[in-house]
Amino acid sequence: MSLMEVDGLTKAFDGKEVVKDLSFGLKTGTCVALLGPNGAGKTTTLRMLAGFTHPTAGTIQFDQQSLTTDIRQYVGYLPQFPTFHTWMSGLEFLVYVGQLSYLTNAEATDRANELLEKVGLEDAKKQRIKKYSGGMKQRLGIAQALINKPKLIILDEPVSALDPIGRREVLNLMMDLKKDATILFSTHILNDAEEVSDELLLLHHGELVEQGALENLNHLDQTGKIQLNFSVYPEKLESQLKNLSSIKHIKPVGQGVEVVVSDMDVARIEILQLVMTKEWPLTKFEQAKTTLEDVFMKVVNS
Amino acid sequence: MQWSVIFKREMMEYVRSIKWIWVPIVFFIFGIMDQITMYYLPKIIDATGGMPEGAEVNIPSPPPAEALFMSINEMNTLGILIIGLLSMSLIAGELKSGVYELVLSKPVKYANYVTAKWAALSTLVLASFFIGLLAGWYYTNILFGELAIDKFLVAFLVYGLYLLFFITIAIFVNTWFKRPGMVLFLSILLIIFVNIITSILGHFLTWSPGHISSYVSTYLFTGNITTEMWGTIGTTIVLIIGLLYAAVEVLKRKEL
Amino acid sequence: MFEINWALLAPLFIVEFILLAVALIDLIRIDETNGPKWVWAVICIFISILGPVLYFIFGRRP
Repeated sequence: MSLMEVDGLTKAFDGKEVVKDLSFGLKTGTCVALLGPNGAGKTTTLRMLAGFTHPTAGTIQFDQQSLTTDIRQYVGYLPQFPTFHTWMSGLEFLVYVGQLSYLTNAEATDRANELLEKVGLEDAKKQRIKKYSGGMKQRLGIAQALINKPKLIILDEPVSALDPIGRREVLNLMMDLKKDATILFSTHILNDAEEVSDELLLLHHGELVEQGALENLNHLDQTGKIQLNFSVYPEKLESQLKNLSSIKHIKPVGQGVEVVVSDMDVARIEILQLVMTKEWPLTKFEQAKTTLEDVFMKVVNS
Repeated sequence: MQWSVIFKREMMEYVRSIKWIWVPIVFFIFGIMDQITMYYLPKIIDATGGMPEGAEVNIPSPPPAEALFMSINEMNTLGILIIGLLSMSLIAGELKSGVYELVLSKPVKYANYVTAKWAALSTLVLASFFIGLLAGWYYTNILFGELAIDKFLVAFLVYGLYLLFFITIAIFVNTWFKRPGMVLFLSILLIIFVNIITSILGHFLTWSPGHISSYVSTYLFTGNITTEMWGTIGTTIVLIIGLLYAAVEVLKRKEL
Repeated sequence: MFEINWALLAPLFIVEFILLAVALIDLIRIDETNGPKWVWAVICIFISILGPVLYFIFGRRP
């Protein structure tokens, strides 16, 4: 089932399109990573989906209804650099945003306390926010995004600015949130995307260049690396390999070479035939799994 | 209700930042300082012997109406400056720091956001102005002679409207610029502009808000509320509503 | 010298004192100010009325 359907989403600032004709769907209960280098249009996209930046063109369908109501009621949003009224305490701030989301004072207080416990800020809830560390602010930011039990949680670069401990805390929290909500988060760090997301949207220069489940992406991609090792390094190995049609790049690594190939199936046959005719002492033939990084680099460079 | 949530939070901020103490005190001082100075001035000149031998010190004691108007004169300069400083980061500050983005991601209505902030600042300013003018009226009565309380009340209401007009200008400018210094500069520039236009084209623009202080002055002397004064009150209210509406619309269209 | 009517001036001195006291107490309790704290303390004490007001507007960090 689809929670959100985006069609032809476009945003232009002063005539310059920063997001171009995005179309994709978010399935209920999935965790989707919006991946792209800095300046790819991630933040603008997320702001449009969160309902407070208006698209230049395109439609956003939420929960199978065309949007006539305010989408912000159903979405929780964490900005890239969340800032708060730092003179308030964590609890006061959560109650405030809860009430902004039409909860009563009592409801907001209950929900705020529940969330502060969930994100591990229970001991600091009466402290002024200005005393919070970066990681604590980020967790408070996530708590405020959850205040109205949103169906969709949108997080803009939730872990990029954090130290390793803070990053781990937030990633664990996201794993936990996946159980009962749909998450869309942006990142430029591949590991984070790989770790928690089920699906990927790859954004580059405002365009959606790749999308789908993680496994499918790897299949789709026919280019890859093959690692060859020999007990004795053969003479003219590199010049011989270079003649093969499927091989694009050769890099010597220890007792062998790493080759980048354009078509995995063709390369496999070509290389093995060459090894057999030349009687090279092959000790290892490893087809390296295409990592997200490879896909990313390929897409970005193409 | 969302509006009152924002209003209350704004009030809480004024309490925590001690504005609810210092702003009324400052307006109180503005309200009485001219009366006290005026009262003591002849005596000070006398005592310091600043006048040449034989010259008579003859500064006539001002009539009560003029004495109360001195309070308003202080509001017109220093008061406006303080209000400008209070409002320069009301919305601009939140836009600049980024709190605005977080608040905006909640289902907050722009009109609630703008008018609640406007109402909160107006409450602080009008309460402080009330205290200041009341003190000025009290000192006028004991130092310069009796002035009826309805003079004080009308002066408070009508000049209070002018202060509201200035607050609204500042709020409107807040939605355009992020830099508080810029907001302060432009708000004050705009109010000066209104006054200059009024003084040049005053004969045609008899209903301009720029006339409010002079109309209040006339009223204090004569006790008559003229048609022009009613016209000015009407124009000012219309302008306040228009500027608030414009501020909401600008904010709606604003890209972060 | 002329008679000073203290009853007349008392309210002015009282509010001036309150303003100074509030500013100094706040200055002690606050974590950070824009610029060194002692400078603000000097400004508050030596410039009557205007000093504390300047501190409240420009010295306090929110």
